[in-house]
Amino acid sequence: MMNKKFSWKHEHWVKPYLAKYKWNFLLAIFLGIVMFFCGGALMFYAGYTIDKAATRPENILMIYVPIVLMRAVGIGRPLFRYLERLVSHNWILRVTSSLRRRLFYIAEKNTSAVGSAFQTGSILSLLTDDIGHLQNLYLRTIFPAILSYLVGFIVIILIGLFSWPLAGIIAILLIMELILVPFFSLLKQASVRSKEKKEKAQLYTEFTDQVLGAGDWKISGRKDAFFDQTKTTLKSLGKHEKKSGKFDWARDFVLEFIFGLMAVAILYFTNKNLTYNQEAANYVGAVVLALFPLSDAFIPVGQGIEEWHTYSDSVKHLNELTVPENHLPHQEYLDPVFAGTLKATDISFTYPGEDYPIIQNFSLTLKRGQKAALIGPSGAGKSTILQLILGDLKPNTGTVTLDKINVLSLQKERSKLFSVLNQEPFLFNTTIYENLKMANPDATADQMMEILEKVQLADFINSLPKKLNTEVAEAGARFSGGQKERLALARVLLQDTPIVLLDEPTVGLDPLTEQKLLNLVFDVLKKKTVVWVTHHLQGVKYMNEVLFFKDGKVTMQGNPYELFEHNEHFHQLYLMDQGLI
Amino acid sequence: MIDKRLFKLPKAKIMLPMLAGLMFLQAFAILGQGIFLARAIVGSWKRQSFANIAEDVLTFLIFYLLRQGINWFQKWYMNRYANQTTALLRQQLLNKTYNGGIALVSRIGTGNLVSTLLDGMDEISNYLSLIFPKLIALAIVPWVILIYIFTLNALSGWILLLVFPLLILFMIILGTAAQSKASKQYAGYIKLQNHFVDALRGLSTLKVLGLAKKYGNIVYKNSENYRKKTMGVLRVAILSTFTLDFFTTLSIAMIAMFLGIGLINGNLILYPSLVILILSPEYFLPIRDFGNDFHATLNGKNALGQIFDILVFPTTPQENQLSSFTWNKDSVFIANNVSFNYSHIDQDHFSINKNAKMSAVVKKEQASTDKTHTADELRNVNLNLTGFQKVGIIGPTGAGKTTLMRILAGFLTPHLKEDNFTINGQNLAQLNQKNWQNQITYIPQDPFMFATSIKENLTFYNPNASQKEIDTALKATDLNNFVASLKDGLNTRIGENGRGISGGQKQRIALARAFLAKDRKILFFDEPTAHLDIETEYELKEPMKKLMENHLVFFTTHRLHWLNDMDWCLVIENGEIVEQGTPSDLAKNGTLFKKLTQPLKEDLL
Repeated sequence: MMNKKFSWKHEHWVKPYLAKYKWNFLLAIFLGIVMFFCGGALMFYAGYTIDKAATRPENILMIYVPIVLMRAVGIGRPLFRYLERLVSHNWILRVTSSLRRRLFYIAEKNTSAVGSAFQTGSILSLLTDDIGHLQNLYLRTIFPAILSYLVGFIVIILIGLFSWPLAGIIAILLIMELILVPFFSLLKQASVRSKEKKEKAQLYTEFTDQVLGAGDWKISGRKDAFFDQTKTTLKSLGKHEKKSGKFDWARDFVLEFIFGLMAVAILYFTNKNLTYNQEAANYVGAVVLALFPLSDAFIPVGQGIEEWHTYSDSVKHLNELTVPENHLPHQEYLDPVFAGTLKATDISFTYPGEDYPIIQNFSLTLKRGQKAALIGPSGAGKSTILQLILGDLKPNTGTVTLDKINVLSLQKERSKLFSVLNQEPFLFNTTIYENLKMANPDATADQMMEILEKVQLADFINSLPKKLNTEVAEAGARFSGGQKERLALARVLLQDTPIVLLDEPTVGLDPLTEQKLLNLVFDVLKKKTVVWVTHHLQGVKYMNEVLFFKDGKVTMQGNPYELFEHNEHFHQLYLMDQGLI
Repeated sequence: MIDKRLFKLPKAKIMLPMLAGLMFLQAFAILGQGIFLARAIVGSWKRQSFANIAEDVLTFLIFYLLRQGINWFQKWYMNRYANQTTALLRQQLLNKTYNGGIALVSRIGTGNLVSTLLDGMDEISNYLSLIFPKLIALAIVPWVILIYIFTLNALSGWILLLVFPLLILFMIILGTAAQSKASKQYAGYIKLQNHFVDALRGLSTLKVLGLAKKYGNIVYKNSENYRKKTMGVLRVAILSTFTLDFFTTLSIAMIAMFLGIGLINGNLILYPSLVILILSPEYFLPIRDFGNDFHATLNGKNALGQIFDILVFPTTPQENQLSSFTWNKDSVFIANNVSFNYSHIDQDHFSINKNAKMSAVVKKEQASTDKTHTADELRNVNLNLTGFQKVGIIGPTGAGKTTLMRILAGFLTPHLKEDNFTINGQNLAQLNQKNWQNQITYIPQDPFMFATSIKENLTFYNPNASQKEIDTALKATDLNNFVASLKDGLNTRIGENGRGISGGQKQRIALARAFLAKDRKILFFDEPTAHLDIETEYELKEPMKKLMENHLVFFTTHRLHWLNDMDWCLVIENGEIVEQGTPSDLAKNGTLFKKLTQPLKEDLL
C-alpha cells in the first residue's frame, strides 16, 4: 500500500480545502496583490515625483498629485501587508480546524476502546507533524506561488499596455524565474532530498540506540564503537546536505540574475520608448524603480516550490490513511438493568494481512456477576479478545453475544453495557469534575464524592485546594499511578455498566499497591460481570474462571481453586507467584 | 535577546571579522548598484541614447551581481561554519551522553535528547547561519549607506537617522504588548493548542464512554477557539512588522517629497536625489530582514540554549583508579556510609522553555513525560559483601532501589568522600571505574534492543564470541527454537524498525548477552520480570538461576519468590537501607520486610 503511486488527481487532503475556503483564500491573494501593487506604486510615484521636480515645474502643485498618491500607497503597502498576513493566517487556521476534525474522525474509526495503534506516541506525533507540514505547504509553497503568478501576470499586462516587445521579454524572464527554474530545481533536488530523508531516519534510529542504550554502552567500555555508530550516516548526510545546499544557493543566484536582467531590459526599453519627449522621460525612473519591490514576490518562489520535498511525505501519508469498512448489523436495544449472560462461542480471529490467527476457537460463558481472568504473554491476543467482546473487532468465525444478541448489534448501546479500565487510564486535560462528568452527564457533585469515597480518593480530592474543580494537569504531579487508576475506576463506577473489562490495570504498580487496588476493584465490582486481562496470579481468588493463553490458544482453563487442587502446573505457578517456592 | 554564549563558540573569532569584511564589501556593492542605476536613469531622463547609458547599465548589472555573489559566498561560508559548529556541539553532546549515561538520559528524557541531537542540530545550524549575517549586516550596511547619503544631502540623512530609533522604540513597545497579551492567555492557549493531541490520546477512553463520535465537533470547536485566540495575539504581534513597513515606506515618501521640493527650488539636482531615493529602501532592508528571520530562528535559539545547559550538566568521566581484577569468590566489596541526592541538578533547565515557539511545546511536553521515576535521595548506605553473594533488594516504589543499583553500577556519583567504597582493600570515592564496569552486566526491566541483528545484540559485550559460545548461550536461555524459527536466524534485525519481539524474548536476549560476557562476574538485575506474565517468568527462572551461579548478584524485585534464591536481602524505604540480613532472618525479625510481604499472603487461595 505504501508503494501506491501518489497522484494529484486523487489527492484529497490539500485540494478540497483550497476549494472549501476559497473566499478566504482569494481575499488573502487579493490583499497580497494590492500590497505588491502599493509597493511598486510607491517607488513609481517617488521616482516620478523627483524626475518631474527635476524639470523645475512652475510650482509645487505640479507634483502635488504624485505626492498625495505616494503617501496613499505608502500607507497602503504596510496596511495591506498587515491585512494579508492576518487573512492568510486566519485562512490556514480555519483549514487546520477542518483538518483536525477530519483526522479525528479517521482516528476514531481506527481506534479500539482497548489499546490500539493510534494511542502510540509516534503515530500521534506523526499525525500532528503531518498537519504542521500541511499548514506550511499552504502557507509557504502554494500561497506564495499563486500570488507570484498573479502578480507576474498583472505586471506583464501592465507593461503590455505600453510596449509589447518589453512585455514579451519580461514574460519570458518571468516564466524562467517563476516556472522553469523552480520546477527544474524541484526535480533536480528530488533524489538528494530523498536520500537526506532516509539518512535522517537512519540517524534517528542510531541516536536512539546511543541514547537509550547509554547504560549498556558505558559498561561495555566500547567507546569507539559508540562513536562509530553514527559516524558513517552523519558523514553521508553532511555530504548530501552540502550538495543540496550548494544547488540551492546557485539557484538563488540564478533567480537574482534573471531579476537583474529584467531591470536591464526595462532600462533598455524605457530608454528607447519613453524618451520621445521630456514628459514621457519623467516616467523612466518611475518604471525602473517600480520593479525592485517586486523581487519579494518573485525570488522566494523557487525556495517555496522546492520545499514540497519537505511536505510531500505528509501529503502522501495523509492520503494513504484509510477508514476500515465496518458494516454493522441492525442495531438492537438491551436494557442494561436486565443484561445477563455474556457468551463467546468458538471465536477465531486473524488480523488482516497476517498468516496466523491470533485467536483460535475461543469460548467463554459468564453469567451476570461472574468473573474471568485472561493470562498470557504480551502479544498473545488477550487485548484482542477484549476488542472482540466489545465489538470493536469482528470475529472471522464464531460470535460474541450478550443475552443471545450479537454484540455487533449492540454498538449503539455499548457505552451503557460495557466499560473499560485501561492499563494507563487517560485523564483529559481538564478538571477532575469534568473528567468524571464525561462518564455520566447526569452525575451530581454529591454523587461523585460518594463514588470517590468508595474508591478511597475522597480524602485526597478534599485535600486539594479546589477539590473537584482542580485541573488534572495541576494535580497530575500529585497523582500516583494507583490514584490515577482509582480515578479511572470512579469513572467506571459512574458509567455503571453491567459488564466491566479490565485491561491490566495494575501493571507497573508495586505489589502492595496492586493488592490494595485489586481488593478495591473486586469489592466495588462485586455485582458486575468482569473480564480481566492480567499477567500474574495476584487476585485470582476473585475469579470464577482463569484462562491461560499461548499462541492464540487456551492452554489451561478452569476455576482457580479447582486448578490449584488438581493441576500440577497451575499449582507450581501459583506457589511461585506467591513466593512460596 | 541574543545568548552571549553564542560568541564563545569556537571559531567565532575568525568568522565574525570575515563576515564584517563581507558586509562592508556588500555595502559598497549596494552603493555601486544604486549609483549606476541612478546614472542610467538620469541618462534616459536627459533623453540620451542607449549607447550613452549602456556603460552605466552594465556597471549597474556588475555591481548587482557582485552583491548577489557576495550573498552566495556568504551563505556557503556561514553554512560551512554552522555545520562545523553543530558537528562539534553534537560531538560534545554525544561525549556527554556517553559519560553521563543513564544519569543524564533519565534526567533530560530520551525523546528530548534524540530530538536535540537530530532536529535540534538542524535548527541550530539554521539559526547560526542566519543570526550572524543578519546581525553583522545590521551593524554595518545601513550605516555605510547613511554616511554616503549624508555626503549627498544632509536633510535626507537626518530623516533616515531619526526614523531608526523611533522604529526600534515602536517595535519594542509593540513586541512587549504582544508578549504580554500572549502570556496573559498562555495557559488557556496551550490547553487549546494541546486539545487535539489530548483528544487523540484519549480516544480509547472516549470510545468507552460513547463520546467519540460527538467529540469530533468538540475538536473542531476548540480548534476554532484556538484560531480566534491566535488571531487575537497575531493582530498585535504582526503590528511590529506593520510598524517596520510603515516607517520604511513613510520615510521613503517623505524623502521623495523633500527631494522633490528641493529639486523644484533648485537646491538639488536629479542625480544625487535619485541615488538617495534608490538607497533609502536598502537602508531599511537589514532591519527588516533581521525582524523577519528573528522569529524563524526562535526554535534554533532555544535548542542552542538547551544544549548549552546540557553541556554543563555535571557528569564524571570513567576513571581508572581501581586496579584491574576479576571478581572471585574471595573478593570483598564494602560500601561505607554512601549518600546521594539529585538536588544539585537544576531540573527546571530541562523543562519546557516558556518562550519557545508555541508549536514546539507539544512535542517537548511529551518528551518530558518519559523521565523515569527515581528516588531523589539515598542516605548512609552500608554494605559488606563477599564473593558470589546474591543480594535481593526490596522496598516500595520510589524508595530508592534503582538509585542504589545505579550508584553501585557507577552510573550515579554519590557525595564524594575518599572511602565511599572499598574493593579488595582499595578505597574508592565512586564506582565509575573502568575496571569495575568491565565486570558488570546490567539487566533492567525492559532491556534495550539495539537496532541491529540478533547476533550483534547478543554479542554486545563480547563482539568476538564464537559461534559455539553463541549456540550455548542460546540454548541456556531457550532462544534456540525461536532463532531457528526465524527466516534470517541470527541475522534477523530487531530493535527500532526491526522485527518486533515480545518482552519475554527481550529478557532472554539480555540473559544470553550476559551469558556471553563470561568475564563479567557482577550481575545487576533491576526488576527483570516485572513486565512478564507468570508463565514466561516461570520459564525464565531456570536460565536466570543458572546465570547467577558464580556471580555477585544485585537483584531488585517486587516478585518475592526470587528472594528464595538470594542469600542476602536489603529492605529500602525512603532512601535508606532499613533492614538487611538473610531472607529467612528477615522473614522472622524484619518489621518492614514483614509489612511488605504479609498482605500478599492474605491473598492466598
